[in-house]
Amino acid sequence: MPDWKLVIGNRFTELRIDPSGVAAVIEELSQHMEDRYQELLAAGADEPEAHRRILNELADAQLLAASLPRALRKPGRNTPPPAASPSGNVFFDFARDLRYGLRSMLRSPAFSFFAVLTLALGIGASTTVFTMVNTLLLHPLVAKDPSRLVCLYTTDMNSQKQTGSQLPISYPNLQDYRARNSMFSGLSGFSPPMVMTLTANGEPERLFAQLVTQDYFETFGLTPAKGRFFLPQEDSTPGSAPVAILSYSAWKIRFNSAPDILGKILDINGSPYTVVGVAPRGFLGASAVFGPDVWLPATMAQQALPGPLQDVLHARSKPFFQAVARLKPGVLRSQAEASLQPLAATLRQQYPDDNAGHTVSVLPVTAALFAGTGGETGVVFVSAVLLVIVGLVLLIACSNVANLLMARAVSRRAEIGVRLAIGASRGRLLRQLLSESMLLGLMGGMVGIGVGYEGCRFLWSFFPPEVVRNMVQPKLDGSVFVFALLISLATGFIFGVIPSLRASRTGLVDSLKEETRVAGLGGRSARFQKVLLTGQVALSLISLIAASLFLRAVQRAYDIDPGFDNLHIAVFMMNPEQAGYDAERLKEFHLDVAERVAKTPGIEAVSWASNMPFWSSASRGVLIEGQEQRRKDETISTVTNTVDVDYFKAMRIPLLEGRPFTAADQEGSLPVVIINQDLAQQYWPNGDALGKRLHISGDPTMRQIVAVVKTSNYTTLGEAPQPCLYLPLGQNPSGAFNLYVRTSGDPSLVLAAVQREVREIGPRVQISDVRTGAKIVDQVLFAARVVLSLLGMFGLLALALASVGLYGILAYSVSGRRREIGVRMALGASRWSVLSLVLRQGMTLVCIGTGVGFAVSLIGGRLFSKMLFGLSPADPLSLFGASAVLLLVAALACYIPALNASRVDPMCALRER
Amino acid sequence: MNHENNADREWKKGGAELLILSLLEQQARHGYDICKLIEARSGGDLRFHVTTLYPLLYRLEERGFVQGLWVEKANQRRRRYYSLTAEGRKALAQQRHNWQEFVQAMSRVIGVENA
Repeated sequence: MPDWKLVIGNRFTELRIDPSGVAAVIEELSQHMEDRYQELLAAGADEPEAHRRILNELADAQLLAASLPRALRKPGRNTPPPAASPSGNVFFDFARDLRYGLRSMLRSPAFSFFAVLTLALGIGASTTVFTMVNTLLLHPLVAKDPSRLVCLYTTDMNSQKQTGSQLPISYPNLQDYRARNSMFSGLSGFSPPMVMTLTANGEPERLFAQLVTQDYFETFGLTPAKGRFFLPQEDSTPGSAPVAILSYSAWKIRFNSAPDILGKILDINGSPYTVVGVAPRGFLGASAVFGPDVWLPATMAQQALPGPLQDVLHARSKPFFQAVARLKPGVLRSQAEASLQPLAATLRQQYPDDNAGHTVSVLPVTAALFAGTGGETGVVFVSAVLLVIVGLVLLIACSNVANLLMARAVSRRAEIGVRLAIGASRGRLLRQLLSESMLLGLMGGMVGIGVGYEGCRFLWSFFPPEVVRNMVQPKLDGSVFVFALLISLATGFIFGVIPSLRASRTGLVDSLKEETRVAGLGGRSARFQKVLLTGQVALSLISLIAASLFLRAVQRAYDIDPGFDNLHIAVFMMNPEQAGYDAERLKEFHLDVAERVAKTPGIEAVSWASNMPFWSSASRGVLIEGQEQRRKDETISTVTNTVDVDYFKAMRIPLLEGRPFTAADQEGSLPVVIINQDLAQQYWPNGDALGKRLHISGDPTMRQIVAVVKTSNYTTLGEAPQPCLYLPLGQNPSGAFNLYVRTSGDPSLVLAAVQREVREIGPRVQISDVRTGAKIVDQVLFAARVVLSLLGMFGLLALALASVGLYGILAYSVSGRRREIGVRMALGASRWSVLSLVLRQGMTLVCIGTGVGFAVSLIGGRLFSKMLFGLSPADPLSLFGASAVLLLVAALACYIPALNASRVDPMCALRER
Repeated sequence: MNHENNADREWKKGGAELLILSLLEQQARHGYDICKLIEARSGGDLRFHVTTLYPLLYRLEERGFVQGLWVEKANQRRRRYYSLTAEGRKALAQQRHNWQEFVQAMSRVIGVENA
């Protein structure tokens, strides 16, 4: 009796189904056949006849194979899908295509792994940058209907373009605008985030607080996450409302999301405040980047602010508040600005001393969002550059996978031929192949979201830990997922469409021939591969050049002379007033600390100053004696710094003429001032500034200029020169809270000693921050360093992807040409000539790609020039350095396959089929 | 040698499922049993082979209309018996109804009186 199990098993094997996976089916079918066999014998057939009839009945076993229960079906390689012809139901077909795609991915795990990894890196990089854009540009503000929000600034009427021409507004002016405007449904003021001291269990802790007017949160259209916002009565009498609203992250991180936070008393700068509410999650105020820990009512200014600012509620001369307002429905920004002009004119008339030459401008709220980070245009520009670069990386990833698919399509020709033979249409086949590449794209996207998330975490890890909880958190929200999904599908389509088109054009007869032709790098589809490879090389060179240009630019930025010597300097921030020091004790404290610290070994000079390096901006108006009439309406905005006698020595700022401040410059002596070269040249171009007098707007004291010092950088590194004036600490006794220490050696060695001295003199004074010169420059260049790291990462990624792609294609080409190489060698070609043949083939593409990338970088580099700290975008070191690195890596990627080719044994290769 | 006439082919396309489901309505049966019953009850006009019956059975099983279970009986080989699931019963009722409507409609059109 025939072994029916064997018969069926063989039939399955012919159909490339693994019999071991379908043992139960074979058992069932063989029983059936045996029953049938017995039946035929019983009906009188002889054994061969019965056998033949049963085999006949088994003729269309393909149908059977196709219908095997899914769980039992474990197809071998190259099994056509159950039905390559359309079922008529698009979704059913699609689901089936996906299923089949998944199976074919599992069949070649190495290919799938590499393709998904490549795509994940490309998509992940894009997702990271998009998350940044989403956070900073697309959703920068937590507010209802943000398009109706505007911000108000005081501006100089005649110098719209000058640096610092947008000044804050003084509280009394702000109150007038609030009371008398008709175009806003809400107008509120807010101070910059101020460093304050929170004392909990006797331990001082630094926190950022913002003073805001009562309707601040209502202007943004928010509802509290907990508790309430400020009440109207808390805005009426100064000092009457010691209440506070916590930011969501402060509540979460500082207070561990304490459920009983409402009603808790906080000791801020020595005064108690009751927590009455928690702001909604993610709300940073009118900033896209940095938010305070706590908001206090503006009316608490006297309790919360340091000495010189305690009168901000009454002094029109002290512009301290920025204003944010909500336009009434139907009102345009220009209308609102026009409607405020009569008010501004009235204020100029009523208070000429403080408001002369000032008007008010209404800007979109975005103007305030990026204050201190180079403005919105800077952020948009950086984002655009990064998006272009990640776009390049993604394109390289796509072309890599496309190349892989092309290579794979050659080995799938037989399968495609079978499908065409059993009636699949080209369109159907194309759809099937495209669904496979879309599936790859989607898988890449899923992993890519993870990569993107890690990328964001990496990016955010650049923020200094002490402020990270005040920084905006990456918004990985729906739009990021939609973005990732769309680019996954798009990449799936882009890298899939051409290989699929080519594969589906496979000739029926050719493909069914047993011998699979491998084209190497000849033939039509190979031309496309060559174009892809050349493009990859060009793209990765562009990314590499961008990265190296930026690297050089940041290096250069570190070499920029800020106008003072930052190498051996340390700055200690502290606020003795917050520890309850009055004017008299403060003076003693300043003297004691300066004296004792100066005696510490290794310290050359010590000085107090009110400004942190790179932390000041032009904000005070200056009126010059004799030029007042002429320039009544053109107040000069200057940086103002109150400094101690040794300041210029400690900072090594050269004194160009005159004398430094001395201990004799005290209250009661002749009021003096030192100006910088920029101010001197602007107003005394003949060099006769010494002895002239000026006064600061809002302060009628005339001060005599006793020296001119070299202009340095005040706001950022490499900035355009801005006017600055220095007041002596002795005549302007409060407000100097930063201790500058000049050391002879490494400043980090004296940090502990200085802190110990300060603590001994003022045990309750908290040193809120300590920075060495290097750290200060690091922080100024923070954004540039972030961009550099990203560009560097993307450049390396591009290089890696392109060289792996190059290697893969060459290796594949060599493996397909073994026979040819064997013939060449059998006919006498030397190993060296084979090696150089393959090398030449790869390096020709690389050189063409390098040329293209080089040219594009030269032309496109000009767009960069703004970000390069003065470095030429055609910087030869960057251009040639990056090209050399690329050529080297590419040569290595070509060398390995070439070496393998030269090691082909002609005897073996010729014997291979 | 081909026993499959036109009626047979049409049957298989449209009514084969109904046929199998109705044969399983009263009791569970194995594949060969189903084949034999169809052939016997149709007077030899309808025939199923291994390659035509089992794809149907597997598809019905995949759709949850029938369930196959290996059953071992004393002194017999173990065999796979198929029985109707609750869903299969519903599908059978529906298909029977459709079939009757179809036959009636056909009869009205081609002018054959109902018996």
